[in-house]
Amino acid sequence: MAPPPPPPQWVLDLNSTPPAQSRFSLPDPPGYTPQTALQSKSSKSKSQPQTVSRKPPTPEETATLKLKKAWEIALAPAKQLPMNAIGMYMTGNSLQIFSIMMVFMLFKGPVQAVLGINQTFARFETEGKKEEMLWVKLAFVGCNMLALALGIWKVNGMGLLPTTRSDWLAWETERVPLERAYFRPS
Amino acid sequence: MLLPIYAAVVLLLRPALAVFADEAWTVDYHHALLGLPKQSTTFFHRPDPNSRASLIYTLSEQGVIGAVNPRDGAVVWRHLLNSTNDASQPSFLRAGDAQDAVVSGLGGQVTAFSAADGRVDWQHIAPDALVDLEILELEDGRGTPGAKDTLCMSAGQHPSVQRLDGATGAVKWEHKIESGDMPYQVSASTTEVFAILLHKTVLGYVKINVVTLDPVTGRKTDEYTLSSENELATAATIVAVGANSASPIIAWTDSAYKTLRINVIGKKAIVDFPINTLGGRPPQRVALHAPYLTTSLAHFLVHYQSLDADWAEVYHVDVKNGRIEKAYDLPKIEGRSSFSTSTNGANVYFTRVTKDHVFTVASTSHGILGRWNVDSTTSSLTDGTARPVHAASEVSVKGESVSAVRSAVLLSSGEWLLLRDGSPQWTRPEILAGTVSAAFALPSEVSDLVNELQEEAHSNPVSAYVHRITRHIGDIQKLPLLLAALPQRFVHGFLGTGSDGSDTFGFHKIIVSATSDGHLVAVNAGRPSDVLWSSAAVILSSGQVWNARVESAAPGIVRVLDDISPMPTFFNASTGAAIGEDEVTSDAALPTSVEVDFTLKDGQLYGTTASQSGHNELWHFGLQKGETILSLTPRPVNDPVASIGKVLGDRKVLYKYLNPNLALLATTYAGQSRLSIYVLNTVSGAILYSNSHQNIDLAAPIAATLSENWFAYSYTAESTSTAPKGHQLVVGELFESLTSNDRGLLNAATNVSSLASSTQPLTLTQTYHIPESISKMSVTQTRQGITSRQLLAVLADSNAIVGIPRGVIDPRRPVNREPTKDEQMEGLFRYTPVLDFDPKWYLNHRREILGVKDVITSPAILESTSLVYAYGLDVFGTRLNPSFNFDMLGKDFNKFQMLATVAALAVATFVVAPLVQRKQINQRWQFA
Repeated sequence: MAPPPPPPQWVLDLNSTPPAQSRFSLPDPPGYTPQTALQSKSSKSKSQPQTVSRKPPTPEETATLKLKKAWEIALAPAKQLPMNAIGMYMTGNSLQIFSIMMVFMLFKGPVQAVLGINQTFARFETEGKKEEMLWVKLAFVGCNMLALALGIWKVNGMGLLPTTRSDWLAWETERVPLERAYFRPS
Repeated sequence: MLLPIYAAVVLLLRPALAVFADEAWTVDYHHALLGLPKQSTTFFHRPDPNSRASLIYTLSEQGVIGAVNPRDGAVVWRHLLNSTNDASQPSFLRAGDAQDAVVSGLGGQVTAFSAADGRVDWQHIAPDALVDLEILELEDGRGTPGAKDTLCMSAGQHPSVQRLDGATGAVKWEHKIESGDMPYQVSASTTEVFAILLHKTVLGYVKINVVTLDPVTGRKTDEYTLSSENELATAATIVAVGANSASPIIAWTDSAYKTLRINVIGKKAIVDFPINTLGGRPPQRVALHAPYLTTSLAHFLVHYQSLDADWAEVYHVDVKNGRIEKAYDLPKIEGRSSFSTSTNGANVYFTRVTKDHVFTVASTSHGILGRWNVDSTTSSLTDGTARPVHAASEVSVKGESVSAVRSAVLLSSGEWLLLRDGSPQWTRPEILAGTVSAAFALPSEVSDLVNELQEEAHSNPVSAYVHRITRHIGDIQKLPLLLAALPQRFVHGFLGTGSDGSDTFGFHKIIVSATSDGHLVAVNAGRPSDVLWSSAAVILSSGQVWNARVESAAPGIVRVLDDISPMPTFFNASTGAAIGEDEVTSDAALPTSVEVDFTLKDGQLYGTTASQSGHNELWHFGLQKGETILSLTPRPVNDPVASIGKVLGDRKVLYKYLNPNLALLATTYAGQSRLSIYVLNTVSGAILYSNSHQNIDLAAPIAATLSENWFAYSYTAESTSTAPKGHQLVVGELFESLTSNDRGLLNAATNVSSLASSTQPLTLTQTYHIPESISKMSVTQTRQGITSRQLLAVLADSNAIVGIPRGVIDPRRPVNREPTKDEQMEGLFRYTPVLDFDPKWYLNHRREILGVKDVITSPAILESTSLVYAYGLDVFGTRLNPSFNFDMLGKDFNKFQMLATVAALAVATFVVAPLVQRKQINQRWQFA
């Protein structure tokens, strides 16, 4: 029996992986680690981290950081004020669905924010910073009140606040005449 | 906060004021009336001799000449000859045989019209008031084909007979009557003209004097006096003087109606016929019916009318030898009947119209040629409420028998009815042409409910509850009827095919009109084509005009005030039944401490208070020397005002001066062309505003109106060195203060006494030049006064009514500058001195409304709508929405589309629901 014929070239090509060397003559860029090298490296030094990890912050530091973050959130509505004001100014004072919706959002946002104030700042609550957090919350409420004030200013501009005499005209009554004259044709 | 919404609605919709094309002929109604036709001036005539089609011509008591198509009752043409509306003035209308011309005479004016289209051929002004007018049917041998000449006789200082050329109206000759006798009538035979004069004897009796004139020259050829010694006390018992050779007779009776005396004109003999009463009462009226065409046989009918029956005798005249003989009798028939004459060639036919039948006989024999039953159950003729007053007939003859007869019958109810072979073809409510006053009233269904609700409101809770339960049980009985009518209602509402009879919006108010001949007539504003009821309210002597005033007294009840009875009479508006005063609960019961009456008496204006010691004069308007009161316009008693102030553009308030006791007084000065206008407080008599205009044309109409806190008046100013003659409209508005947010001196006081305090309003006025004079003004009224108003102005010269929007004539329009932004927001625009009537303001659009004297308005149940009714000669009514139809769906609203959309959505929902459900279930179970 004749020995089997040697496998064709394509089978050999398929079975043999190409050489790991770079096909280009250029060197690898600095800092590039080929995957094979990485794999072998990581498998080697699995238990031994190369760099020293950051040391965990102290609770004091965390509290300060949280307070900082809380202040940031508390003052966020104030930062939106100029943009809102411009938006309100641009929509005009006419009663249209668009401006009415804008105004509605303007009222809805601060009220919702104030109602959900404890949830908003629950993440930042720490034992030692109770008093500071109170200030933060007050600032938050204050900023939302500013946004609300903007809404009221807008509503007033639209003429929806009963501030003028004509708004109360329907409650004013005609003077009752004490005498009545009738025409009697003769 | 409803006010800003209303204000917004009113502001947004302000410019949309016009009569819309789809509403133009449906919401408005118009009766183009002629007025009550007179017997002597109503006839059938063929405008074109070659055609058999004829028209009915009439010159009515209201002085309107017109032609009516006998087929449908439509007016072919008409003219208002005089606007003085003096029914007692004699008027004449003649048509020449086979001619396209009718000649009318009224007052001193003779006018010839083309019969076919009503164009004026010529006009002639007689020297004085006319007494008679005839067409001269001359046979001069030449057989002139042109227009026939007219004879007219006038009275006055210099009575005369004139012959007018038929083509031009020029006077051919004039014969002056210088004997001092009273001209009575003119008659023409084929060869001679007779002037019949009345000569007063020393004893006060009347003698008939006949003057024969030559028709060519007008010279007197003969004169004789009929020996009517001591028989004729007055001219009233002269029955008739024939006009021409077809009836060449003079007929008269003694005052007791015992004998009928007839003379053939031109002959001196008098034939006496004793009047046969046929065993009944003596006649009260004797009338003579003769053909008016010269070609006819000289046969005539004498109609005797007693209190309860009518009968007639037919006579034949032998013209040649002047003999008269009685041919036959027409039997006595109980109840009223009317006779009319018609001709066909030389044959003469008499048509008798009774309550139940129409008979036609020939003049030659008493055999009835045609007899028809009046076959209508709806006609007021057959149900006995009306009787025939007079008729004009036309017969069509086939061979020996009469094939058809058309009779235009005037009924005592004032309807003009055409009977064609006894069946009614059309009726025209001509009585409405004589309306002197009208008022809106609630129909009984509504007023009953109002009364019941009032009763419930005023009784204790338990009995009110019981009353309500019983009322609802009563209502349940109407349920089957309602359910049965429901499909039809749906169909009507769906297709928009008119009303189903229900009146949810209060458009079907009843309009009660008082007419000058003593009738009360009611029409429904929702179904204006037919008269609801008509009744004779008073009995007037002939020539007397009923000066009545109709006003709404309580829901469903009208009050009629007149100069005959000192106390007002009350009528149920739905049925016309008279009711006693004690049954009327007045709706104007206001809790006021002092009640002042003001009245115009003997040209003076007084204010009085009623007390135990009678009427005390409270104030008296001091007229200056030579000053006379022209008109007084009080503010309407029921004049609701929604807002006591005007909201300005900056949302401040300008307070109106609202006082229910306001009146606008217009006076003139004798000999001076001067007009003074005063706004009065009618409690204290104080003048709140006054103005005087010099150089006014007082012959032109001066109209004025007052409503809410504003007034308007118009006049015609004579030309001056700087301005031409022109019509002007002045609008003034009264305010408590001219500074905003200020209620004046009284400030927040809740009540005010005009006697204790004297606060003067501040008045703004503006004047406009208007293109034509306004003869009458009125203001629209709505239920709560929220809707803006319109000033309704009657334009007599263009036969129109315009509704001028209140915003256009606001006295606060900025003068000599553009309006500021705030003013623009208010809707004010720059003042322009000339106010042109926008064609969109004309309420009558393409209709021509003739002779309107007054316009009344009434609120409907819908706030947006005001009902308008104009009367005088024509009757016109419409619904106005001065601020647009904001509370009712318009006709353009597609109900079908809406229902189809709803149905499609419903179907879609049913189809999609299972799909969605399946998808939701799958979502829970399938993980992907």
